[in-house]
Amino acid sequence: MAFFTNISSSTNNYIENKLFSRLLIFIALAVSIIFVFIGDDVTEFPLFVTDSFTFTAWVNHGEDYLKEHYRWITKLIASYIKASYYALEDFLLDSSWLFIVAMLVIPSLAFGGLRLALLVLFGVLFWGAVDLWDSSMETLALMGLSVFLSVIVGVILGVLCGLSNRFERGMKPVLDTMQVMPAFVYLIPAMFFFGIGGAPAILATMIYSMPPIIRLTNLGIRQVPSETIETATAFGSNKLQTLFKVQVPLALPSIMMGVNQTIMMALALVVLATFIGAQGLGSEIWVAIRKLDVGWAMEGGLCVLFMAIMFDRFGKALSKETVTLPSDSQRFYLLPQTWDIYPLARIIEKPLGYIHFCFVLIFSSIFSAIASFLNIFISIFSKEFAESISKFILNHYFFFTGILILYGLSVYDSTIASIGAFPESWHVSLREPISNGVNSLTVNPTFISITKGIKAFVVIYLLKPLDLYLTYLPWWYTTLALVILSWISVGVRFAIITALLLFFIGACNIWTEAMITLSSVLISVLLCFVIGVPIGVLASYSKRFQNINEVILDAMQTLPYFCYLIPVLMFFGGGAFAALIATIVYSIPPIIRLTVLGLSQVSSTYSEVSKSFGGSTLQTLNKIKFPLATPSLVMGFNQTVMMAFAMQIVTPLIGGKGLGREVFNGLARSDTGRALAAGIAICLLAMILDRISLAWTKKQRDALGLS
Amino acid sequence: MNLFKNTIVASLLSFFLVIASFSQASADRLTRAVADWTGGMVTCEVAEQILEQELGYKIDSIVFPSGTGLWEAVADGSDIQFACESWPSYAEADEVMVNQKLIYNGEVVKDDYNGDGSVEVYTTGIIGSSDYFVPKYFVDANPGFKGWEDLNDYKDQFATAETGAKGRLIGCPVPGWNCHDQKRLDLLGIDFVADELGTEVAALAEASAAYERGEAFLLYFFTPHWFQGAYEMVPVNLPANVPCETFNEANNFTVCGPDKWPATGWAKDYTINYMNPAVFAKPEMAAAKGFFKKMNLDNADQAAMINEIDKNGRDIVEVVQEWKDNNSDKWSTWLP
Repeated sequence: MAFFTNISSSTNNYIENKLFSRLLIFIALAVSIIFVFIGDDVTEFPLFVTDSFTFTAWVNHGEDYLKEHYRWITKLIASYIKASYYALEDFLLDSSWLFIVAMLVIPSLAFGGLRLALLVLFGVLFWGAVDLWDSSMETLALMGLSVFLSVIVGVILGVLCGLSNRFERGMKPVLDTMQVMPAFVYLIPAMFFFGIGGAPAILATMIYSMPPIIRLTNLGIRQVPSETIETATAFGSNKLQTLFKVQVPLALPSIMMGVNQTIMMALALVVLATFIGAQGLGSEIWVAIRKLDVGWAMEGGLCVLFMAIMFDRFGKALSKETVTLPSDSQRFYLLPQTWDIYPLARIIEKPLGYIHFCFVLIFSSIFSAIASFLNIFISIFSKEFAESISKFILNHYFFFTGILILYGLSVYDSTIASIGAFPESWHVSLREPISNGVNSLTVNPTFISITKGIKAFVVIYLLKPLDLYLTYLPWWYTTLALVILSWISVGVRFAIITALLLFFIGACNIWTEAMITLSSVLISVLLCFVIGVPIGVLASYSKRFQNINEVILDAMQTLPYFCYLIPVLMFFGGGAFAALIATIVYSIPPIIRLTVLGLSQVSSTYSEVSKSFGGSTLQTLNKIKFPLATPSLVMGFNQTVMMAFAMQIVTPLIGGKGLGREVFNGLARSDTGRALAAGIAICLLAMILDRISLAWTKKQRDALGLS
Repeated sequence: MNLFKNTIVASLLSFFLVIASFSQASADRLTRAVADWTGGMVTCEVAEQILEQELGYKIDSIVFPSGTGLWEAVADGSDIQFACESWPSYAEADEVMVNQKLIYNGEVVKDDYNGDGSVEVYTTGIIGSSDYFVPKYFVDANPGFKGWEDLNDYKDQFATAETGAKGRLIGCPVPGWNCHDQKRLDLLGIDFVADELGTEVAALAEASAAYERGEAFLLYFFTPHWFQGAYEMVPVNLPANVPCETFNEANNFTVCGPDKWPATGWAKDYTINYMNPAVFAKPEMAAAKGFFKKMNLDNADQAAMINEIDKNGRDIVEVVQEWKDNNSDKWSTWLP
């Protein structure tokens, strides 16, 4: 057993030091509980502070001023964006459904092969089949335009960051803020300056989804080896030529990764932007939620999920390098290439290979004919130009085939016979079966008693006491505790910042709401741990379980967070408890992932040694793996907290309370100041917990000698 | 491969630019907001179907939460041109934005609007009333219960896990409705907590479940509403409405004391459709404006449609279309 004492002796010192501080914490807690019992009402900031610190009014005055003097500019921008959005939307809605299918499937076929094309085909047909075609087109238009603009602006800013250190230093805090700020906070001002509907939604989406493309473009540009640039300069390229011929092409994989991330983030926000009047799948889901029609909401949610998966896979295919196969192996088009050891798979793939070959042969010969015809025709004027044109066409026969098919379809649609809307006979309604299933479950007495039991337990023993504790605890006590905590874990400077941030929350007169939010975040994180860590432990032991787990977690993280409300609403109805469950469902993936990571990263030597010393599996887990995995777990805590805070913004839709509802109240009363104050407060709380837990991770790592 | 990618990107680019250069706004295209509650949805759907099918307009709809934000959007007029069935005692923006007499069946029902006139309003025909309600079986079992004054004596029966010792009011579900439930309870000295469930349906689902279980519960709701027909509910008869001049956004919601709004019930609501005056002054909108001036949907018809939609789970468009097909004698008189 010497081994165990050895391992834990490194942490022993640490623990002894902690004994004293534990006593202090205990005393502090006891005192705070006394305070809570003495207090006869929720704690409130002194009136003279809240009355003189009228942040809400300042913001509203500032907004009025800006509206009065600069609104014509924003209106102009909005009108341009709106015009392009309407044009794109009308184009998508007026095109025949076959045209849209071809437009999405052909590029997928080109970049991702048959597998991706089939996936995309399935997704697109699903939109039509559940009768949400128009909404999907609206979402597609919103997303297409905002991704397009984000990529253009983002790449330009990213290139500037990559070229100038000063610009990068200036951009960094801006990017950090863009990523931490809940989207709701700027969704509302966007509405006042840019109106309702598509234009503000697109602009807000740009703010939300641009950081990854800027960061990754910057990274890509900076990763170009300086020798390459020197060589280019030595060969006489000027700065612009070096940029466009060397740096940007070499940064392209990184930029493509940024595009992929931007697409995913844009989709999440485009769905959320329904609150400022953007149409599409988001508003379908919202109306369905308002009517408690679970089946309908589920259909909308699935459409979003398929759209997300489609674009995610397409983006990945775009940035993936093509693999060259050894010449003797058979190329697979549908099944995974690794399956070529199975004869059955080879037989299935054979005809696909022939089809591919025929297809290539037909279209390449058609286009070589066109190319040679053009060659003869243009060579009358310029021989060189003709050569390059025919070569270009020949090399891109696939692209031109796609164009030809699309053109053929639209000509067929407009002149020969109208294809029109998605055929009604293909509609498959999932609405009723889902709703009926859920309804039969929710009237089931056993199910009711189970959910009621869980609900009563969580509310009576967790949510309610913590709510009471935090709201009744005098504000100065809470502030002091958090300030001391940040002093110990981060440093004096951050302690001062914490004090100021908490003072801001109190002075805006939203202390109670902030404490309710904090309490529901803490409870959801606690429950995430209780549920997530065992799952993570299981997954780290069983490979098969881990594989299933990965698939589910991937799907969970692709889904926009709005959609999490649906299943919760389905089983638990509305209210604070439902909001808690939605938060848990949304924010549990990181803790599971990082538990698995932390446990499996523990070097197998340690566990081998522990086993050879006779330690049981449980002992190994408890004494070796968990202590060594602590930094990972704290990291998981950190990410879970962040996601739980993000979720607080949408939970008011199903009865969540606290700051999220303040944001909603602000939106409903068109009171930007109020919404902004609550939104900022969410950011601030998140920031304080983030810094404290990150600092804690670092300390743990140092203590374990892992850094 | 690289050149290929560039071509794709370039063609996408030009594609967007080309379609961006086309943009047209149809002359008789109007955008409306979709209401938060079924009654409001029905009223607007009736208006939409008549405007589209009889008067040849093209109506788009936007899902947008009701409240001051929506009033401002209508006043702005560039994205939403009209919205339906606002209940004056719920709207706080009407006092600021309306400057005209409200006429119902040829009679002036309100003539003290002194706003800036940025929004124009006409009655829908629906007359609404609101109160807090308890189930009839509760009153039968507790003959001592006469009205809201007695709520405190029975608060134990209304308590839930969330509210602890206090009773629970299943309150106004949406903040934008400006119900001020908690304020009212506090001012009237009722020791209850107002629970805001986020959506009308969630609140009613909670109430129906409580009714099926035979529990005591206090519920805010309004008529016309399907709930009234489906379950036997008794109003607690909140004090009659007395307006309070200072209880609004501009005066930071300063209360007037325990006998004025919001410590009272709601006034009888002559509900209104509201629209942008500049847009509706255009000659091509004359027919639409004429229609709104005459629209007069009655409570019974709306209640029947709400019942079909919420109780029988039918599609709103289908239900309204059915009503329109069978009641041409009613709506034909609304045409300009």
